[in-house]
Amino acid sequence: MGADLADIQLINRLIEGDNDALYQLYDKYSGALYGVVLRMCQNEAEAQDLLQETFVKIWSSITQYDASKGRFYTWAYRIARNTTLNSLRSKKNLIQNDDLGVYVNETEENQQDFSLLKGSLKKLEPHHQKAIALVYYQGYTHKEAHEVMGVPLGTFKSYVRQALKQLRKTYANELVWLWCIFETIA
Amino acid sequence: MEKKRILEEGLLEQYLTGDLPIDEQLMVEKALVEDADLKAQFDQLEADFEKMALEQAIVPPSRVKSNLVDSIENTVPLKTNRSPLWIAASFAVLFGLATYWMYIQWQNAEENFDSLQQQTANLQERLEALENDYAVTTSQLKDINGPNVVPMVLYGNQKLPNAKLVAYVDHNRKIVIVNSQGLPELPVTKTYQMWSDVDGEMINMGTLAPNQELIPLKYIEKAESLNITIEPVGGNDHPTVEDLISAIPL
Repeated sequence: MGADLADIQLINRLIEGDNDALYQLYDKYSGALYGVVLRMCQNEAEAQDLLQETFVKIWSSITQYDASKGRFYTWAYRIARNTTLNSLRSKKNLIQNDDLGVYVNETEENQQDFSLLKGSLKKLEPHHQKAIALVYYQGYTHKEAHEVMGVPLGTFKSYVRQALKQLRKTYANELVWLWCIFETIA
Repeated sequence: MEKKRILEEGLLEQYLTGDLPIDEQLMVEKALVEDADLKAQFDQLEADFEKMALEQAIVPPSRVKSNLVDSIENTVPLKTNRSPLWIAASFAVLFGLATYWMYIQWQNAEENFDSLQQQTANLQERLEALENDYAVTTSQLKDINGPNVVPMVLYGNQKLPNAKLVAYVDHNRKIVIVNSQGLPELPVTKTYQMWSDVDGEMINMGTLAPNQELIPLKYIEKAESLNITIEPVGGNDHPTVEDLISAIPL
């Protein structure tokens, strides 16, 4: 399985200087990456800047992507996550070092909660949902996240594994339902 | 066995997000190459991860794409450098082959004359393209061979003792070009990044891929030293000092 063939074709075009290929990758993956970035930083304007910065980094570093080592989305996700964590760390330093007022204004501005998950993830048990949210949508490492949840690291890792296993079952069931509906219609 | 440890300790899940330390990342990458079953499990994990991400997608406003297009179209990409020796050798070989081929064609004389004209025209185009490449290469050679260029060798510290990078710095023309062929390969989640130290502050010069002959980087005024760190893929805003692998005063 591995990398998507259509993605590889777009990436090859991008390496050869065809920027339209980047915009097609943007159309395909910007929603997924924006979902990650916005849930991490909880601020729409900032998330939009970070999404743009992520795609500029993808454009400038595309020759470093190696399709034999994984999917394009995984690589792009790592860039988005690192870019967002960098920005959050810089902001945290600013708040701690210079201006305590920034923190107050920010909490007032961010009334809307962007962290809510949807779809199949909502069907998971609450502790499984939280484990996935912490690691994949809030930028925590496994070592940080198990402390947030107050469970041993091994237990936390098994939460993540069980949650992913459960999700896989849900996706497989959805496919079976789709097939049944298709067969009925046909 | 590595596979057992990777599965029991959930290292694939951590590798996916780029959380693992470099030594464990390299261990996982090696195991993925060697073990088809483990690779299949990672492929499935990536597929589920992507499916989950698409399900959790939030559509960004259209202005983000417009801004991205403006930003990309107004930026001049760094041109990938080709090997000067390779191009020069190709030029010579191609020219030699072309001459020989033309000699054979001449012996067949008139019956092939029309076709020869056509082929010669094609060849001329290729020669012109090669001459253009040759001009680019010559210009790059001038950049690194100028009288004011200071060549420097950055050796890896105890973290990466086998690492070596050659930097060509021209303070007059404000140019920095590096040869990264001596840098070892990194895990897919990491990249090399160069920094200039200016009054104690590290200024980003750009990221580096290993095995490149000539990479142009940003020239930073008043730099006191050149430094290389290992950073997450895409580069970092601030250097990870604990992953500094080489430094040299200017």
